[in-house]
Amino acid sequence: MAALLAGCGGGGGGGADGSASSTAGGPASVPDVAAQPTSLADASRLADQASFGATEAMLQAIMADGPARWVAQQMRADVSRYTRGGSDAIHRYTGRDYCADNNLGASCWADNYSHEPLASDFFRNAVSRPDQLRQRVALALQQILVVSSLEVEGTYGLRHYQNLFLAHAFGNWRTVLEKVALSPLMGDYLNNLNNDRTDPNENFARELLQLFSLGTCELEADGNLRGGACQPTYDNAQVRAYAYALTGWTYPAGGASPWCQGTGGPDGNCRYYQGDMVPRPGAHDDQPRALLSGVTLPAGRGAPAALQGVLDSLMAHPNIGPFIGRQLIQHLVTSNPSPAYVRRVATAFDTGRHAPFGSGTKGDLQATVAAVLLDPEARGDSAGAQAGRLREPVQYFAGVLRALGGQTDGRVLTWSWGADLGQHVFRPSSVFNFYPPDYPVAGTALQGPQFGILNAGSGLARINYLNFLLYWGGAAPSAGMADALGTRVDLQAFEADAADPARLVDRMLRLAVGGRMSPAGRQAIIDAVAAWDSRAGAPAYLHERIKTAAYLVFASPHYQVTR
Amino acid sequence: MQRRQFLSAAGASLAAGLASPARAQSTDYRALVCIFLYGGNDGMNMVVPRDAGRHGQYAAVRKALALPQGSLVPLGADYGLHPSMAALAPAWAAQSLAPVFNVGPLYQPLTRDEYLNHKARGKTVPESLFSHHHQQLLWETAHHDASRLSGWGGRAAAARSGTVMAGGGNGRFGLTEHQAALVFPAPGAAFGLEGWFGNQNAARLAALRTLHAESSEQILHNAYAGRQREAMALADQLGPTLRINPKDNPGEAINSAFAPLIDAQRALTTPLARQLYQIAKLIEYRANLPAGLGGSRHIYFATLGGFDTHGNQIGTDVLQGTHANLLKTLADAMAAFHAATEDLGLAANVTTFTQSDFGRTFAPNSSRGTDHAWGNHQLVLGGAVIGNATYGRYPELALGGPDDAGQAQWERLGRWVPTASVDQYAATLLRWWGLGEGQIDGVLPNLRNFGSARGLNFLRA
Repeated sequence: MAALLAGCGGGGGGGADGSASSTAGGPASVPDVAAQPTSLADASRLADQASFGATEAMLQAIMADGPARWVAQQMRADVSRYTRGGSDAIHRYTGRDYCADNNLGASCWADNYSHEPLASDFFRNAVSRPDQLRQRVALALQQILVVSSLEVEGTYGLRHYQNLFLAHAFGNWRTVLEKVALSPLMGDYLNNLNNDRTDPNENFARELLQLFSLGTCELEADGNLRGGACQPTYDNAQVRAYAYALTGWTYPAGGASPWCQGTGGPDGNCRYYQGDMVPRPGAHDDQPRALLSGVTLPAGRGAPAALQGVLDSLMAHPNIGPFIGRQLIQHLVTSNPSPAYVRRVATAFDTGRHAPFGSGTKGDLQATVAAVLLDPEARGDSAGAQAGRLREPVQYFAGVLRALGGQTDGRVLTWSWGADLGQHVFRPSSVFNFYPPDYPVAGTALQGPQFGILNAGSGLARINYLNFLLYWGGAAPSAGMADALGTRVDLQAFEADAADPARLVDRMLRLAVGGRMSPAGRQAIIDAVAAWDSRAGAPAYLHERIKTAAYLVFASPHYQVTR
Repeated sequence: MQRRQFLSAAGASLAAGLASPARAQSTDYRALVCIFLYGGNDGMNMVVPRDAGRHGQYAAVRKALALPQGSLVPLGADYGLHPSMAALAPAWAAQSLAPVFNVGPLYQPLTRDEYLNHKARGKTVPESLFSHHHQQLLWETAHHDASRLSGWGGRAAAARSGTVMAGGGNGRFGLTEHQAALVFPAPGAAFGLEGWFGNQNAARLAALRTLHAESSEQILHNAYAGRQREAMALADQLGPTLRINPKDNPGEAINSAFAPLIDAQRALTTPLARQLYQIAKLIEYRANLPAGLGGSRHIYFATLGGFDTHGNQIGTDVLQGTHANLLKTLADAMAAFHAATEDLGLAANVTTFTQSDFGRTFAPNSSRGTDHAWGNHQLVLGGAVIGNATYGRYPELALGGPDDAGQAQWERLGRWVPTASVDQYAATLLRWWGLGEGQIDGVLPNLRNFGSARGLNFLRA
């Protein structure tokens, strides 16, 4: 448990660049739930669905409390935040070159412009901070409402944006959409910033409809296509109406640069990523526009009122519950939820309640997340043939470290292992994330989003990550990084059982897969462990046994594909 | 039949292949190489009219994005390439390069008027037009319905008992209902299980294989385990070929063709160059490939991303900037790859072609960029191309004109209704590659909607 509670500081509360908590609808207080003990198998499933991976202590806690009480406790846990990296100084600097002029050294770009400080916080927090469920929901949100460091730079801006998802993980979807729509970072990423009523740019408007709220086809409440075939949710003229409605925003005040003299006038404010975008006089389209859900924007309404109209039209649309609900299920529980499961989650989204969770306001994420995790399809000892999801790479990186007493500063999990496995966190190739939600798994009738980045090269790299941790000794702490940890496991806890191969393997299997393994698979692992005997010399052979057991258990398809 | 069955059957043929000369001499070989330009390439700035009348129309609408007439790389008197694509000028001169105009997903032939009134006219329009994800799928699947699972490359390969081989990721193009494309890593990359598996560790490797051979009641488990079994087998068979790279293998035959894209550290300089280098190598060493990958008929898939140029498509100079850099990357890599096929004596056996999500609006937006559109221009390259000619009809350069899908005054932005379909484009390629008409109809189910216009005739028989 100590490892669970260790980790870096920066708890809850709004910091200088933090997001204040939601106002609209306000997050519901978390209910008290009575304990209702559950099985190891169920606890193991929940750990995979709601955390970055089981520890022995976490499994004990879930088994004792039961899913509902444990989920409620998770929702109450102190809020992790992104805290590392440089400040807004890069966008207040009026000289030519912030890094060079100030002699800030070789890491200046990484510290001040890149996503690397966030990645370090991300993996540190995933491995050791207690608010595991919040972090998993935030990871889901960042993969739906995508921004990529590939196209936008400014560490403080990326930090501000990603902290939104941690802060609002159990808030309300409307608030999340509003914050995203007003984010100057998103404004830059999808070109809505300084968008002008003359020849408006359609990029953000289109993806707001297609990816962040409704999707392109009309849906039934259970997520199936209405009428069995794609009937367009909107046409191109309507996309254009949204583009017009979303014109007229510029950077918040505060930025300066030698190239920018802007004061919100015709050229807008200077680039600045702290705070919400502000209206830009004269740039907002003031024509009447017809939006979806019967919402119309009157002439002369101004950009802020137009944005509220846009949000009204999206939140009132019947697609939004099943569209967002199904994706949250896919990110947390299973790639192929039944229509009935989607309907139940969409109902929680629409009513804002999944008793005793939720505020009763549509879009309530506390209710929606509780409905996702506590659904009969997510719970229980056994799951159906269609159940589960391929563990996504960042969940896998952190999961092995959590299970094996490990620690990381994230350094090797981005450009190297992240890229090798196809998920370099904070740096997806486009707004379409690392993989699409509907990626088909060849040879089956199922979808598997994470199969969109599984191929021969990345598949073998998955297994090689274990070789790196167990046989190369991981990575040493990096010179030049504040409180560097490297990326390492600590197998000491397993030494007590290493004299008995079966006992060691069974312990590892309980931890990793809730004890789920075929007799033949278990025996193969035991045989490989027992191949190391005392002739190899003590204590080395005991250590080799632990490495062998860990390599095989965590490489096994049983671990890679959750239930 | 699943690929793993091919692969397990392929061990013997691999051994036979290694015993024979590595460079197969048979000319009964044909390869298609798809380069997918993710994000939606602005074809209107890739192939531009050069004649004074149309260039004037173009410049009047394109405004800041307009490329000066004199900057274009001439494709005859009427058209020119973006100036950053000069590397392809020799291929045009050698009659190996051709642009194909205004191609896009269609269910059936469609005029502007029929599109605007498609319900009344009983016409079917492709699903989710102007959406990246869906239009990528329609290009990759050659269908009008984005829920189609398999790609036209995968279906075509399967018709010849092969598998698409891909360098740039798991695009839908190479999928079939039964198998995924073989996605290979960059040259020089370790491809295989790392670590020491001798002595007691041999038991660990055996157990790893046992764990991946188990079947489960869980479908995704089995699919994952199957992929990993394939990966392990492929690493054993193809690892040595895939690891060849300019740095460690200075004498490799294709190095001179790729020399413009090899830096001082002898590394390939762009992601597309790395993919096409691998493909050139797999073509060169095709005798070493497992038979299950297609024998004498291969289909390859490479990708280049970043074409979603909504903002700042150009730099401070119209000849520079994001789109110019992307097109240079494309043209340089295509030219090097084509040169490699010439060096291998296989230029007429390999045809390279582009695909992309969609074209972009002819009229730019207020952020010096362009938005999502529909029909788009593509390039085909190879010794079998009837080059030094253009194919298809270039759209009329009028906003709200006969090719513009926009109706209301405020949405007439030059989103071209395609005048050639993905099916016709693909059929032309697949006929040359070796499929019969019946097989083509099987791979491209909408082709029959185009009657006798079953191809675009840009390839020799």
